[in-house]
Amino acid sequence: MSQKVDPELTAKIEKFGKGTWNECFHCGNCTAICPLTEQGFLFPRKGYRAIQMGLKDTIAGSVEPWLCYYCGDCSKTCPRNANPGETMMVLRRYLTSVYDWTGLARRIYTSKMFEIGAIVFIAIAVLLLYVSFTFFPSGEGNWIGQDGGVLINKIAPWKRIHLGDWIMAGTLAFILISNVFNMWLKIIFKDKSVKIPFTAYITEVFDFAWNFITQKRFNKCDGTKTYWFLHLFLMLSYVVLFTMIVFFLEWFQTDTVHPIWHPQRLLGYIATVGLFVGIIYFINNRIKKAKENSKYSHYTDWTFLVLLFLTTLTGIMLHFFRISGMPVATYVTYLIHLMCLVPMLTIEVPFSKWSHLAYRPVAVYFANLKKAAYKKNLVK
Amino acid sequence: MADTKLTGIYFQSAIKGNEDTVNFTEVAAYIKKYNNVAAIWNADEVSLADANNVAAKIKEKNIKRFVIAGDKPGMEKSFFTKAMVNAGNKAEDVIIASFREHGAIRNADTNRAKAILACAVNAVPFEEATQTAEVPVNPNTLVIGGGIAGIQASLEIADAGQKVFLVEKTGTIGGHMAMFDKTFPTLDCAACILTPKMVEIGQHSNIELMTYCEVKDVKGTPGNFTVKILKKARRVDLKTCIGCGTCTEKCPGTAPSEFDAGTAMRKAIYIPFPQAVPNKYLIDGESCTYVKSGKCKVCVKVCPVPDCINLDEKDEEVEINVGNIIVATGFKIFDAKRAEQFGYGKLPNVVTSLEFERLVNAAGPTGGNIVYRSQDKRNNWVFKGDADIPKSVAIIHCIGSRDENYNKYCSKVCCMYSLKLAHLVVEKLPDAKVFEYFIDMRAFGKGYEEFYERIKHEGVSIIRGRTAKIEEKNNKLMLRGEDILGNKLIEQEIDMAILAVGLEPREDSANLSKMLGISQTEDGWFMEANYISNPVNTFTGGISIAGVCQGPKDIPDTVAQASAAASRVLQNIVRGKINKSVKDLSLEEIESQVNKLA
Ligand SMILES: Cc1cc2nc3c(=O)[nH]c(=O)nc-3n(C[C@H](O)[C@H](O)[C@H](O)COP(=O)(O)OP(=O)(O)OC[C@H]3O[C@@H](n4cnc5c(N)ncnc54)[C@H](O)[C@@H]3O)c2cc1C
Ligand code: SF4
Ligand code: SF4
Ligand code: SF4
Ligand code: SF4
Repeated sequence: MSQKVDPELTAKIEKFGKGTWNECFHCGNCTAICPLTEQGFLFPRKGYRAIQMGLKDTIAGSVEPWLCYYCGDCSKTCPRNANPGETMMVLRRYLTSVYDWTGLARRIYTSKMFEIGAIVFIAIAVLLLYVSFTFFPSGEGNWIGQDGGVLINKIAPWKRIHLGDWIMAGTLAFILISNVFNMWLKIIFKDKSVKIPFTAYITEVFDFAWNFITQKRFNKCDGTKTYWFLHLFLMLSYVVLFTMIVFFLEWFQTDTVHPIWHPQRLLGYIATVGLFVGIIYFINNRIKKAKENSKYSHYTDWTFLVLLFLTTLTGIMLHFFRISGMPVATYVTYLIHLMCLVPMLTIEVPFSKWSHLAYRPVAVYFANLKKAAYKKNLVK
Repeated sequence: MADTKLTGIYFQSAIKGNEDTVNFTEVAAYIKKYNNVAAIWNADEVSLADANNVAAKIKEKNIKRFVIAGDKPGMEKSFFTKAMVNAGNKAEDVIIASFREHGAIRNADTNRAKAILACAVNAVPFEEATQTAEVPVNPNTLVIGGGIAGIQASLEIADAGQKVFLVEKTGTIGGHMAMFDKTFPTLDCAACILTPKMVEIGQHSNIELMTYCEVKDVKGTPGNFTVKILKKARRVDLKTCIGCGTCTEKCPGTAPSEFDAGTAMRKAIYIPFPQAVPNKYLIDGESCTYVKSGKCKVCVKVCPVPDCINLDEKDEEVEINVGNIIVATGFKIFDAKRAEQFGYGKLPNVVTSLEFERLVNAAGPTGGNIVYRSQDKRNNWVFKGDADIPKSVAIIHCIGSRDENYNKYCSKVCCMYSLKLAHLVVEKLPDAKVFEYFIDMRAFGKGYEEFYERIKHEGVSIIRGRTAKIEEKNNKLMLRGEDILGNKLIEQEIDMAILAVGLEPREDSANLSKMLGISQTEDGWFMEANYISNPVNTFTGGISIAGVCQGPKDIPDTVAQASAAASRVLQNIVRGKINKSVKDLSLEEIESQVNKLA
């Protein structure tokens, strides 16, 4: 299949992170040492080839960058210090922008000012919405309990917050799903060399779910057990909290302070620990440049970690203000919490770092579809 | 008189004083004494991203000449040429001041650096400013290192009728070449070429062979060096030993044989190999029971020649006077244990190319049979003739070379010797499968590409893609690689893997370079006066270099360079006079020369 060479491709991709492709002299070391590459999905070297040659369509249609979990083995042993692991990371950022039809991902990844501006813009929007749609700060009705306790559902009734949540979640879902569809078009539909058997779409779903829950591919990278565990814990905590807030707010946001062993509190605590420990670990890694995958930090890696940290911190404060009966502090913290949480979700989930939460398992799913086709020899 | 063209200077490194390097603060302060110096910039002040920016600065200071000063000034020449031309100047007015090339490397060379820069800002070539007076030459020559380079150079000089002292560190001459079975690309038998030369050295009336000796100190100036040589105790008399080998049989002391690259054991009293020159035994004190504990003397008892073995012999120092010195100390191989992913040192059947050279050598420990490594009675891993035969062999290129983690340079000979080894496996084990994993096949010499084609047609699978790791699996070696051209991931079971290790400077080369006052490149190879036009002389008059100690090369190139070095020496001897070394010129002398020429 012929394709057009894009001579500007390297310059374009370079905007998404440290570009070291000129270093690579194609020794094949990185592919051979990678614990995750497999026949049919060779990486990271072939990615370099495609970049160097300006094969834009090849890159747009490649699942390989998502199959890499950045263990860094390749970067450690690359004879040219070309940092193949980082290049896979850069390609993931680039691909995020390729899938995203809104064009926002590209802006966010390539302009620090744009990203910060977007965060501030959304935070202010949240502030305005909070002030106009909740009873804060007017405090209509009784917003301090008879015992002086916190009545959060009086000031920010869960139903209203829920409505906001749903609108946000709906929008996010729409963008993500349409981007995933775009990804399917590029990776599966446009690839005329394989014919995916229809049944595979169904049979591979289980593996998809299993992989999402366990991140088992990650574990294949040697020597990264702590890393894998903390990453998994962080991710599951995130998903649990997200689900509770977006789908079960009535149950999660109560005015009654439940006893400590109540599942609402227990689950909340465990998930918070998961987030906190994970964030501290990852921030520490990035500051110390402790591992191959934390040596080069893109600014979006930092904004993401900082937003997540602030959200978690304000979440914890909010909780303690509430259970220790400090109404005003609770309500203000609630606002700040939202001002961190909403930009984080709306920017990171569809357009930036968190999108890999969706793209990665989907890519593994797509790779499995192709594998199923290879197995049945449905390759042209 | 000093030049008046306004000149800008760019320093490639930070301008600071440093114990290890030239004191650049001092150099920068010094050069201001030339009034035409209009600006001194360093890497922190000038961004090399935009030539127009620099052009503006050049214009602003009205600079008409530009000097790039540093160890690799040529690298930035094109950038500053662009900037100068954009500023309306001529390209010829960009001048490079190359510190390392002209021998300004260490702190002690700071004055040299000043002289180099003084020449540049006055547009006087350094070579012209450093023409020196002539002094008479002692016709005797010292050759350090008895590999093929040292052998060739010594024979050339001795055959011209001049006296040579050949100093060799080990108990025999021959170097690496003596260890090989065949040489590429002709597949000539190495010994058939080398042994006659070695014998000639041993018998030549003009050559004083000093084996088991080391150079300890060099004093004096070109044409007249005084050299202190340490004669290590051989403990066996060179004159009376008849080489019968009776002593070896009962000797209880053992050590890995250096000549067999550690793949076999030798005794404490030994001869490095049967064709060694001199063909005499010697005792290695470190493995001798008597030297270590005062008890044994078995060899003395069995030796048929009275007083031939003197176990209490001590090291001795002698002094010689020579006019010229040729350094031919060769190389050591890359320590494959450093690249852990290939399992060398842990997996017995991952072997280095040098070990394999011994294994396939008809005069090697197995008589040339290719077998697995096995353990001897004392649990040493060795090659023994009765072990099993491998059925598949993989050869992996570029181990320790072309790799930022180890050595950046290409070792130049390993592609070709790998092809040679592949051929030898095919020849000796016709049923075995042979695989070769390479990054680029560097077959650059006369007949080399043809040799490569020939090996391909012999049925060796030559695969593009360097292997990344070797592990043990089910008692076999498991190799992982990418077949780049075949678009395949390779996971292959093999019986034996040969690592094509690169060449590295010897451990003592820094020491030797200090002693002789010659420079080393960043990689540690000895530095030639000019890589292109004078690859045998050094900056120190009367001292030449030959063979791999100057940089990786194969035997034909080594021999050619050794002959060239010998001709430089003979040139000095025939003229009877030699230029004083640039090293001995004072800064003032060079300055006055610069003023005259500017
Ligand atoms: C595995 C392998 C296979 C090869 N096969 C081939 C081939 O087939 N064909 C080919 O053309 N090339 C081949 N080469 C390259 C070849 O080995 C070199 O080109 C050649 O040996 C260089 O000779 P040399 O005299 O410079 O160095 P060396 O052979 O290393 O000799 C140096 C000598 O100096 C002595 N010495 C070192 N330091 C001191 C000191 N301080 N004082 C006194 N003496 C000292 C050493 O003991 C040694 O005897 C091969 C190399 C390797 C590693
Ligand atoms: S290991 Fe480095 S040089 Fe080799 S193919 Fe991979 S990126 Fe390129
Ligand atoms: S970082 Fe790890 S998983 Fe990613 S390409 Fe490199 S070796 Fe493979
Ligand atoms: S004295 Fe030393 S060299 Fe002689 S036989 Fe004993 S151990 Fe061997
Ligand atoms: S000669 Fe060949 S094997 Fe040796 S370093 Fe160069 S490319 Fe690698």
